Amino acid sequence: MKLNSLSFIVLFVACGSFVSMAQNPKARSGAFALTNANIETVTKGIISNGTVVIRDGKIADVGVDVTIPSDAEVIDCRGKWIYPGMIDAGTHLGLVEFGMVSQATDVSEVGDVVPQVKAMTAVNPNSAAIPITRVSGVTTTLVLPEGELFCGTAALMNLHGYTPDQMFAGFEGVVLNFPRTGKRGSWDRRTDEEIKKASEKITNRLNDVWEKAVQYHKLDSATNGNMSYYPEMQALLPVVRGEQPLIVIVNREKDIRTALRWIKDKKVKNVIFSGMAEGWRVADEIAKANIPVIAGPVLTLPTRDYDRYDKGYANVGLMKKAGIKVAIKTDDDNLNYRNLPYHAGFAVAYGMSREDALKAITIVPAEIFGVADKLGSIEVGKNATVFVCDGDPFETKTNIEHVFIDGWQIPMESRQTALYEEFLKRSPGLKK
Amino acid sequence: MQFYSRNLLVVFLLCFCFFASVAQNKQEERELPPVSSTYAITNAIIIQSPGKNIGRGNVVLKDGLIVAVGKNAVAPADAILINGDSLYVYAGFIDGLTRNGVSKPKEETSKERPKDPGNPLPEQAGITPQQDVRSTINPEEKSINEFRALGFTAAQVVPYGGFLPGTASIILFNDESATDMVLAEQSSFFSELVPAQRVYPNTVIAVIAKWRELYAQALQAKNYEKVYASNRSGLTRPADNQILEAFYPVIARSIPVLFEADKYLETQRVISLQNELGFSLVLGDIKEGWNAIPSIRSAGAKVFLSLDLPEDKKFEPKPEKEKEKKKTSDEDAKKDPEKEALEKRKEEAIQTYTAQAATFSKAGIPFGFSTLSVKATDVQKNLRRMIAAGLTEDQALAALTTMPAAILGLSDRLGTIETGKIANLVLSDKPYFSEKAKVKYVFVDGVMFKYEPKDDPKKETSTSVDISGTWTITTENPDGKFEDQVTFSKDGNSFSGSITGARFSEAVNLENIELIDKQLKFSYTTQAEGQSMKVDVDVTVEGDTLKGTASSAGKTFTITGKKNPKK
Amino acid sequence: MIRITILTLAIVSIVSAHAQERGNVLIKNGNVLTITKGTLPETDVLIRDGKIAQVGKNITVATDVRVIDASGLFVMPGIIDAHSHSGIDAINEATNPVTAEVFVGDALNPFQIELYRALAGGVTTIHTMHGSANAIGGQCETIKLRYGVKDPELLRMKDAPRTIKFALGENPTRVHGSGGIVPKTRMGVEFVIRQAFSKAQEYMMEWDEYNKAKTQKGFRGTPPVYNLRLETIADILRGEVIIHCHSYRADELQMMLKVCKDFSIDKIVFQHVNEGFKVAPELAAQGAMASVFSDWWAYKLEVYYSTAYNAAILTKNGVLTSINSDDEELMRHLYHEAAKTQKYGDLTDDEALSLITINPAKQLGIDKRVGSIEPGKDGDIAIFQNHPLSIYTVPMMTIVDGVIRFDAKTDPDDMRLVVDPKQDIEASAYTEHKHDRCMENAILSAEHFFDLNVGE
Repeated sequence: MKLNSLSFIVLFVACGSFVSMAQNPKARSGAFALTNANIETVTKGIISNGTVVIRDGKIADVGVDVTIPSDAEVIDCRGKWIYPGMIDAGTHLGLVEFGMVSQATDVSEVGDVVPQVKAMTAVNPNSAAIPITRVSGVTTTLVLPEGELFCGTAALMNLHGYTPDQMFAGFEGVVLNFPRTGKRGSWDRRTDEEIKKASEKITNRLNDVWEKAVQYHKLDSATNGNMSYYPEMQALLPVVRGEQPLIVIVNREKDIRTALRWIKDKKVKNVIFSGMAEGWRVADEIAKANIPVIAGPVLTLPTRDYDRYDKGYANVGLMKKAGIKVAIKTDDDNLNYRNLPYHAGFAVAYGMSREDALKAITIVPAEIFGVADKLGSIEVGKNATVFVCDGDPFETKTNIEHVFIDGWQIPMESRQTALYEEFLKRSPGLKK
Repeated sequence: MQFYSRNLLVVFLLCFCFFASVAQNKQEERELPPVSSTYAITNAIIIQSPGKNIGRGNVVLKDGLIVAVGKNAVAPADAILINGDSLYVYAGFIDGLTRNGVSKPKEETSKERPKDPGNPLPEQAGITPQQDVRSTINPEEKSINEFRALGFTAAQVVPYGGFLPGTASIILFNDESATDMVLAEQSSFFSELVPAQRVYPNTVIAVIAKWRELYAQALQAKNYEKVYASNRSGLTRPADNQILEAFYPVIARSIPVLFEADKYLETQRVISLQNELGFSLVLGDIKEGWNAIPSIRSAGAKVFLSLDLPEDKKFEPKPEKEKEKKKTSDEDAKKDPEKEALEKRKEEAIQTYTAQAATFSKAGIPFGFSTLSVKATDVQKNLRRMIAAGLTEDQALAALTTMPAAILGLSDRLGTIETGKIANLVLSDKPYFSEKAKVKYVFVDGVMFKYEPKDDPKKETSTSVDISGTWTITTENPDGKFEDQVTFSKDGNSFSGSITGARFSEAVNLENIELIDKQLKFSYTTQAEGQSMKVDVDVTVEGDTLKGTASSAGKTFTITGKKNPKK
Repeated sequence: MIRITILTLAIVSIVSAHAQERGNVLIKNGNVLTITKGTLPETDVLIRDGKIAQVGKNITVATDVRVIDASGLFVMPGIIDAHSHSGIDAINEATNPVTAEVFVGDALNPFQIELYRALAGGVTTIHTMHGSANAIGGQCETIKLRYGVKDPELLRMKDAPRTIKFALGENPTRVHGSGGIVPKTRMGVEFVIRQAFSKAQEYMMEWDEYNKAKTQKGFRGTPPVYNLRLETIADILRGEVIIHCHSYRADELQMMLKVCKDFSIDKIVFQHVNEGFKVAPELAAQGAMASVFSDWWAYKLEVYYSTAYNAAILTKNGVLTSINSDDEELMRHLYHEAAKTQKYGDLTDDEALSLITINPAKQLGIDKRVGSIEPGKDGDIAIFQNHPLSIYTVPMMTIVDGVIRFDAKTDPDDMRLVVDPKQDIEASAYTEHKHDRCMENAILSAEHFFDLNVGE
């Protein structure tokens, strides 16, 4: 009975979102000229009073002396800024519609070794969170599954499109939750012995899986790819071969050190670290290993009670300072991926340079995901994924006025803006 | 240890009942009573009370009382003489809060969820203030002898239970029947801020709220009973409520509330409650009280400090091996200023805990000690640590004798070696607080308990099993069963060894052989399909057999072994 | 040895600075955001004996008063968080749907490091609350972040009105209803609250009758049995305790408004109230207040239809609104949360800052003492490097009752007041941040009771 009523609610909600999507205005494509703007190219400095021309989904021209095509729709951006779309390098966008109800979340599959399950296939293009996120200038996110050990394959998704394929931004990577040691917090009631046993067990499990993956790779090579169906190992094959990065989620100092050793021992060729709450404690070693890092959230507490109060905010900047290539993720529990620029802003307030913080949410994640030819900066030939704002996008009060994703002009509406329109002056008001 | 009893009948009956069934088979050894109930300890150094060492003299005990003390005290003709030439005599120690001698009820761990967790029965909620610890006192509890062997002769004992477990009693560790142990009943109304499991009150805030409500209801009921007693006409008969009635002496301040409050915040919370309700308060087993001193003073609360202390590595004996390990980790710490600072703060914290008693002394707050949460084996060490941290020996002795006697209202009977007091004495071979002092005799209620020096326990633990020789070891793995031969030989304090078998082309040396008690660990490396594999073995040795696991490359297999007969 | 002495001295000096309860400080030449009286550039604020004595130009003082040069800095009243669970050791007595008698102020814990971390975000006063497991939860406490004091009594903001937590919607129905106890639905929540109020009314009447009869000559009678739970609820009905009601959906908000009307309860603050914007006119008409998240949503079904414009819609419809944290991390940047109302709804600087100062002060009934920079008010000040609504700002110093409790420049890293002597330094190092403190204890107990899977 309980279940039935619950599924009814979920069904109702799902219908609701379809209905509201159907009413949404559609994105438009075509040629656009964004004129008289301050252009933050990220890679090539700031262009004052310049123009960005968008055509066929690409940035066709950028600069001061730009010929505006006759068929282009001109958007006067006098006094405004143009930035490349921001990339959140760690979300569950599209996998979670809302929390607490399992039917509304698709993040965690059964099994501790399921690299073959793909976020890409379960991102709901109609999620209410997608418009809510993109109207704030966050145009692209890495969508991560969750779970134990090898919990699935993450996908980089643009926040526009009617199918996951239309949204796909060209990167996938297997996610490994690196075995955790130690107590997870004061609420962790396990004994030291239990914790030790659990972590030994999972470490053995990891080594076992990796050994099998290596064997599978060898045999697959020897048989010219004629191995029988083994989805877990097949999913790990590009990782073992270094063709696809392994996204290693790890946070605690000790675990990061263990992960560094493990990566070295197993000769894992292509790794991205993600999480890294205590990355600043191991920054030099990570820099030496030359492993890129996705850190976040920035708006977070220090991990230890004796840490300086601002260590969470400062973590990203400290890692950057040590020479690590670092991107930022929000990894937000409340689907507030729209707050990505504020995470970057706090990193700046607590020590990172603004330039580096901006790169950490644009070109750096694009490079880490191997899509820097398409995303992450405003350059001719790249995808026209940009936004126009009335000020510094890190500043809280700045308004995002236009968003383009792959050249599509996105309607600046979301359920949250629609509710504002409807309820600021409600009708009927107090009396019907 | 020898054991004598004054109460022949009890012993006789007990023995009779117990042995009746087996008496046919064997004649049991029976305790014989001492030939006299008069004792004279002669020529011992007498510390009559803290700070009052009266030098060499005699102490005469008769029928459970001290009848004469001093140089001129004459041993009566019927006295059993104890030569005190090398002994120090102290008044018996008094424990302010303990469950030594109290039987723990069997815990019912029902996994069934409570039907109405918000409205449990009083006993589920931990509300049993009408209980009396006397119903659960058990002379057979081992804890009595453990602590008596340290010199404790009397204790305030409290019942097990929830946040209102019942009333305490003061008992003597005289090894008699439960009723004869009790010196004073209903000495206090015991409470702890412990929530109930799975039912209301499930948090400390609900415990305090419930306390408040029960107190107010008891106050109301007590007043009403008074009105009713004076003129019953026209009034409803007051309900019989044992729970509320248990509060009446608390409200009348005829007995104090004894609160276990080991943590600082608990201490403060209890004092806040006391400020609000106004009962008289004794705080027990305090471990973090130094910051609460102003509140304790203004509340007029009496105090028993815990004899438990956080471990301090400086005071722990270190095995040789650990010392070496320690060295290397110390070197690591030097490289890490953060860790060094953390260690330093931790050390300071330990020092503050250790100095608690000294801090209370300096602040002029009188206190006794309690053993509710201390291991018997730590008591003397902890007392010495407290003294090293600034407590004087006299203050320590006072906290074990005169102070608790005063707090418990028993100064006329306990706490010093004076004529007329109960014959509770501790006799040690060296001044009690000195490093190697051993208790030789304890008198409780005039009953003598003699303690012989035990064998050095170190000898026992250091005798590990002998593994030297050759063992046949069977490993079971998915590929089948394998038998190997493992040989160990002893080199001084360590072992060396090798493994051979069908799987090995030649004998492979064992590495990291480690034997602690019966736990044997070693590892070796083999070649399999061109790859080297390390195998870790972890087994328990029982005589000539061993059993445990071998693990390699993330897999764990069972192994068993037998020692080959010596040829 | 020398090193040890120096370190010890440093620690002692921190402690002794904090031991002084009411301080004297002159903050020179800052941009003073008074909140209620506009923004005063290059202005001094003098705090004497813990109270704001003077606000003006060129204030001079004797040399014994510490002078803080705030040139180029921004000086605002200490931030107030109307919804927190910090500084207490117990949050939810989740065993009963009605637990009005419990009081989180009985379990204050002045040692929690999160109190210091909140100070480092400019917060000086917090409303630390019972959780949301029960329709009628426990009483809450308003505390000042006098981090450094060890006596829990010293945290209390004396004379702050009594408050109590209510909770509607998913949490109480999940915790109790799934165990077969009313409420299992929002209908049941209403019933539980109405029943409790009605019983308390009866209880009050019985006592009133008894007390009245008692004054008559020759009275013989039996008093009603004292009941702390009903006594507390009666205090709500008497207007002595302000309800802070955890709530989300429009329908349940209206239900609670009606209940309040029926029981003549004037003062209610809705907490979270994510759908408050939908019934803003109704809230305003009844004088109900709202304390909201800036932008939290989607963490469960009942917050799915939220909007970050909530605070702005409520404010513009005349509902007295504040922004709260309910979280020890969010608590550290309430100034940033307030700034979001400028993006979502174009609030002015003063309107935005009011959401975290004077408005929560009004909701807690402490606006005569805190919430703005005015002579006579408590010397609770937060000093920021940039305008507090800027993302790049950094809190530099936080003052409570004229005592500097946070100083970004001089505070050491390790600000713990107590150290666990048994702590294993290696093993205890790392803590993962958990959200949803509102359901702390309740989640554990619910699992205990009902074998529920109530993970986050």
